[in-house]
Amino acid sequence: MTAAQMLGTSLLLAIFVLLAGCYGVLYCLARLRASRRFGRAAATAYVLQGLCAALLAFSPLDFWWKVLLLGSFVAYLPIPPLTWRLLENLHESGEQHS
Amino acid sequence: MFRSQHLALKYFAAAMTLFGIMIVAGLLASTNYVHDGFLLGKLDFSVTKMLHIDTMIIWLLMGFIGSVYWFVPIELEREAVGIRLAEVMFWIFCVVVAVVAAVFIFVQYGPATEMSLWFINQGRKYVEAPRWAAIGITLVVLVFIFNVVGTAIKAKRVTGIMGVLMVDLIPLFGLYLIAFPSITNMSEDQYWWWWLVHLWVEATWEILIGCIMALALMQLLGTSRRIVETWLYIEVALVLGTGILGLGHHYFWIGTPSYWLGIGGFFSALEPLPLLGMVVHAVYDAGAHRMKTTNKPAFFWVMAEAFGNFIGGGVFGFMMTLPQINLFTHGTQWTVSHGHFAFWGAYSCGVLAVIYLALQKSRAAQQLDGAAWKWSFALLNIGMLGMVGALLVSGIAQAFYERAMGGSTLQAFIEGQTNVWFVQGIVMRLVFGFVFAAGYVVLMYDLLTIGKKRTAAEGLRARAAGGPA
Repeated sequence: MTAAQMLGTSLLLAIFVLLAGCYGVLYCLARLRASRRFGRAAATAYVLQGLCAALLAFSPLDFWWKVLLLGSFVAYLPIPPLTWRLLENLHESGEQHS
Repeated sequence: MFRSQHLALKYFAAAMTLFGIMIVAGLLASTNYVHDGFLLGKLDFSVTKMLHIDTMIIWLLMGFIGSVYWFVPIELEREAVGIRLAEVMFWIFCVVVAVVAAVFIFVQYGPATEMSLWFINQGRKYVEAPRWAAIGITLVVLVFIFNVVGTAIKAKRVTGIMGVLMVDLIPLFGLYLIAFPSITNMSEDQYWWWWLVHLWVEATWEILIGCIMALALMQLLGTSRRIVETWLYIEVALVLGTGILGLGHHYFWIGTPSYWLGIGGFFSALEPLPLLGMVVHAVYDAGAHRMKTTNKPAFFWVMAEAFGNFIGGGVFGFMMTLPQINLFTHGTQWTVSHGHFAFWGAYSCGVLAVIYLALQKSRAAQQLDGAAWKWSFALLNIGMLGMVGALLVSGIAQAFYERAMGGSTLQAFIEGQTNVWFVQGIVMRLVFGFVFAAGYVVLMYDLLTIGKKRTAAEGLRARAAGGPA
C-alpha cells in the first residue's frame, strides 16, 4: 500500500461510517417530522455510503476486509428503522403499563 | 438527601478538581511539543503526560463512583449500607491520589528495584501508581462493591439496572488486579496489560456508563424503567459482543500470533454498529420530548455523549482499525486524536450530565438553565473538536511521511517531527487546548453557581420540601 493509498483508504473508511451516522440521524428526523425531504436525504446518505463502499472495493485492502465492509454496509440499512420500531413499541407498551 | 448522595457530591467535587489538573498537565505536555526543553529537568514531558493520563482515568472513575452513590439510594429507596466506611474510603482515595501525584511531580523515578515499584512508579502506562497506592485503590473499589451489593441485599430488591451494575463490578475490580504483576517479557506484559486497559474502557466502563445513563434518563426525562432496562440489555449484548474481541486491535503489533489481525479487525469493524443504534435512540428521545426538560445542561450533555461516542469512537476508530491501515497509524498522533475524542464522547459528557442532575436535586432547583452552561458547553466541545482535528492532521502527517513514505526509520521520524503539517497541527492542538481550558473555567463557575439563585416562590417551595431555601 502506497502512502497515498493509505491516506485515501483511511479517509474513505471514516466517511463510510460518518455517512452511516448521517443516514441514521436523517432517518430519525424524517420519522419525527414526517418529512419526505428528510426521508430523501436519508436515502441519499445511504446511497453515498454505498458509493463509498464501492470505492473501497477498489482500494488495496485485502479481499475479506472488502467483504466485511460490504456486509456492514448491508447491516447498517435496517439499524435505524429496527431501532425506531423497537423504541416505539417499548414506549407504547410502557404507556399501557403505566 | 441521603448521606450517600452527600458523598456523591464530594466525589463529584474531587472529580472536577482532577479534571482541572488533567487539563493543566495536558497543556504543559502539549507545550513541550511546541517548545523543546520546556521545563526540562524540572517537570519533564514524561511526568506531565503521565499526570494527564492518570488524572483522566481517576477523575472519570471518581465520576462513575459518585454517580452510583447518587443513584443507589434513589433506585433502592434506602441509604447505602456501610456509608460511614464509604466516607472514610473517599478521604483515603483523595489522600492516595494526592500523595501519588506529589511523588510523580517531586520524586518522578527511582532505581530499577522492587522499592521503586512499591513506592514510586510501576512504570506501566495508565496504571503507573505505585503498588501501595494500587492496593489503596483496590480497597476503595472493594468497599464500593460492598456498598452497592450490600444495599441491594438489605433492600431485598435487585432491579434490572442494579443487576447489570453488580455483575459489571466484578470485572471492574478483577481486571484492575492485572495492574500488579511485573512481567519481564514485553509481549506477555502488553498482552495482559491490554486486558486491563481495553476491557476496562471498552467493556466494563461502557456497561457502567450504560447503567448510569439508564438511571439518569429515568430522572431526566421520566423514561419508564421498562424502556431503559430493555435498552440497557440490548446495549450490553451489542457492546460486549463487539467490544470484548475488539481487544484484538491492540494485539496487531506486540508479538502476538497473526490470527489477532483477523479477529481484532473483524470485531473492531463491527463496533460502530451499536453506536449507531445509540444515536438513533438519542434523536428519538430528543424528538419524543421535543427538547423540553427542566435540566437543559444535563440533557445537552447526554446528547453530546451519544454523538461524541459515535464520532469519536466509531468514525475516528474505524478510520484506523483495519490492520492494513493500522500498520501506519498506530502510536501516532492519529491514535491520540481518536483517544481524546472517544474518552470525551463516551464518558466525560455522561459524567457531566449526571453532575448537573445531582446539582439540580441538591439545590432544589425547579429549572436549570442560564448562559454559563451554554458557554462552557460550546467552549469545551469546540476546544475538543479543535484538538482532535489538529491532532488528526499531525497524525496523518506522521503516518504519511514518517511511516508510509519514510519506512519508519529514525531519519524519517526526525523528518516527520519537523514536517510543516505535523508542526502546525501540534501548535493548533495547544491553541484549542486553551479554548478547552477556558471552557473548564466557565464550567466550574457554572457548577458552583447554577441553581443557587431562585425566586422567592421557589425558595418557599424548597423549604416546604425540606431542601435548602
